[in-house]
Amino acid sequence: MDVLDKLRILSDAAKYDVSCSSSGSGRKNKKGGIGSASINGICHSWSDDGRCISLLKILMTNYCIYDCAYCVNRSSNDLERATLTPDEIVDLTINFYRRNYIEGLFLSSAIIKSPNHTMELILNVVKRLREVEGFNGYIHTKAIPHADKRIIDEIGLYVDRMSINIELPSENGLKLLAPNKTKKSILTPMGNIRNRIVETREEKKKFKYANSFVPGGQSTQLIVGATEDNDLKILKLSEGLYDGYNLKRVYYSAYVPVAKSPNLPVLDSPPVIRENRLYQADWLLRFYKFKADELLDENMPNFDLSLDPKCNWALRNIGIFPVEINRADYNTLLRVPGIGVKSARRIVAARKFGPLNYDNLKKLNIVLKRAKYFITCNGKYYGMSSMNPEKIRKKLIYGLDRNIFEKQLSLWEMGGFNDKSLHI
Amino acid sequence: MINHYIYDGSFDGLLNAIYKAYYTPDKPDKILSYEKREDNFLVKEILIDTDAKKAKKVYEAIDKKISPAALRKIYYAYLSEIDGIEMDILNFVRLGFKIGTDIELNLANEAVFKIESIYNKVSHERHRMTGLIRFKELKNNILYAEISPDYNLVGIIAPHFIKRLSNENFIIHDKKRNISVFYNKKEWIVREIKGDLNIIFNEKEEDYQNLWKMYFKSISIKEKFNPKLQRSNMPKKYWKYLIEKGG
Repeated sequence: MDVLDKLRILSDAAKYDVSCSSSGSGRKNKKGGIGSASINGICHSWSDDGRCISLLKILMTNYCIYDCAYCVNRSSNDLERATLTPDEIVDLTINFYRRNYIEGLFLSSAIIKSPNHTMELILNVVKRLREVEGFNGYIHTKAIPHADKRIIDEIGLYVDRMSINIELPSENGLKLLAPNKTKKSILTPMGNIRNRIVETREEKKKFKYANSFVPGGQSTQLIVGATEDNDLKILKLSEGLYDGYNLKRVYYSAYVPVAKSPNLPVLDSPPVIRENRLYQADWLLRFYKFKADELLDENMPNFDLSLDPKCNWALRNIGIFPVEINRADYNTLLRVPGIGVKSARRIVAARKFGPLNYDNLKKLNIVLKRAKYFITCNGKYYGMSSMNPEKIRKKLIYGLDRNIFEKQLSLWEMGGFNDKSLHI
Repeated sequence: MINHYIYDGSFDGLLNAIYKAYYTPDKPDKILSYEKREDNFLVKEILIDTDAKKAKKVYEAIDKKISPAALRKIYYAYLSEIDGIEMDILNFVRLGFKIGTDIELNLANEAVFKIESIYNKVSHERHRMTGLIRFKELKNNILYAEISPDYNLVGIIAPHFIKRLSNENFIIHDKKRNISVFYNKKEWIVREIKGDLNIIFNEKEEDYQNLWKMYFKSISIKEKFNPKLQRSNMPKKYWKYLIEKGG
């Protein structure tokens, strides 16, 4: 089989992993080497599904010993199979990188023989890239549940990011759909990676030349819609992962039906709007100081598909609005729909020179179509005749530009690049 | 009479125009590059000499009395080549010398807002280009890329590629402006290019292009097909040189 066919099969097999980010690492080039990382990450293309392409995302092989029901590579699936050799992966990475197609490599794999054996093969590839080829571009690899701590610790010295995919957001879901994975087999290595990151950061403070360990942090992915888990459960899990495991990113992937199983739901199409709502809420957790419990509760455990989580929150808490743009503190401004991290900072800075008027706000990149219902400017309210949440809600949903949902979607997916405050 | 300052179009020339605006009673109503000068009966044209020493003085004054960030913003605004940007830059500098470092925060001010928003546009395109440039390997192993960006950014994009491709020879050719960056593993220069370059590709070049096209196709999830989102992230104007988009 030639490399072209292998690439076709093994990138197709990798496409359900939504992580594409090349951010969080400032790895520098060395003399005679090739490549460097960019702290904010760089997107190199966008595929026909609108997702960013930043890394060469492939599986080393799609021959798998496991039979997870939701997964396209499950052993019982009748599927074209292929394996790329380390030489081939290295050659593709370097030559794609030289042509500026990619920021680096995202290497994952199905499980061949055993988790340890698979991780040894991944280690072999990343070691060659770094030590033989002098490659200093971005490398993201999977850490495979049940693999020895020893191997994961070694790979961590070569890569920029590692991820262990939780995929199914509850233990029940795992039992049902991925019987070879357990909660413990995922959370134990995640905890180990977190500890090693913290330890090496401390070492680096003392010894300048200490090795970094996974400088871009770790991430994970949750599949949305393959199990019955509601948004509240998913968001609480993410919150726990950010707080307890210092994860850099949690990715959400709308379940694409790739298999039929009595344990899997029947879907007409992937729940992409739900996925988008989760990303928006995730953003609110990480950059807007929201808590999961503020956004959802047992009475309302799923996001409203017609309106974004921040607007929804504001309407349910209409009593604290409107806030005065010229007085409200930074954290209060952050909670106003239509005001982002950047524009909140701009408001705080610009009003030092004198009170801001309504025209000034337009210039500060505030989305007034949304914000106007929740603010006053020099005491004047520009929204509706009364602050009736139901009426505002209708205005927000129907009064907006029809394209707003798509625009918003693309903004979130850009990951706030160019905004230094939003390192992912 | 309306005063038009006419400069040579270089950044140094523009800094000289700023210098002149400070030290002569004839204040400018417009600052125009030689190419953009307007034939008008009522205009008094004042030609600006490009004096490296004066340029340096203004450069350093902006750097120290305002801030390095402000200097960068002015430079990016200049690279935008937008009509009339020179006067906005002058107004920004005037205000900057009054207010100092804090000028950038004063976004409610017209001049500050203008420079800031143009700076954002230029840096946005610069960032995009760091991802969207496609090198092709020539017979002699030189990496060659063609671009035609909205803004004149070859000079501010070169350092990015020099860092990561320090051990390669490369050319980035701005077809719109007929200028190129050349890098030879040691130094880089920007030069005007007249006529077409004689280009012979490396024998393996096509193979890698085919591999990339294949990758681009198979990494997309059909069920999530979303060409609108694709276009808003990667506007069509950039497709011309994108291998995966038939460029």
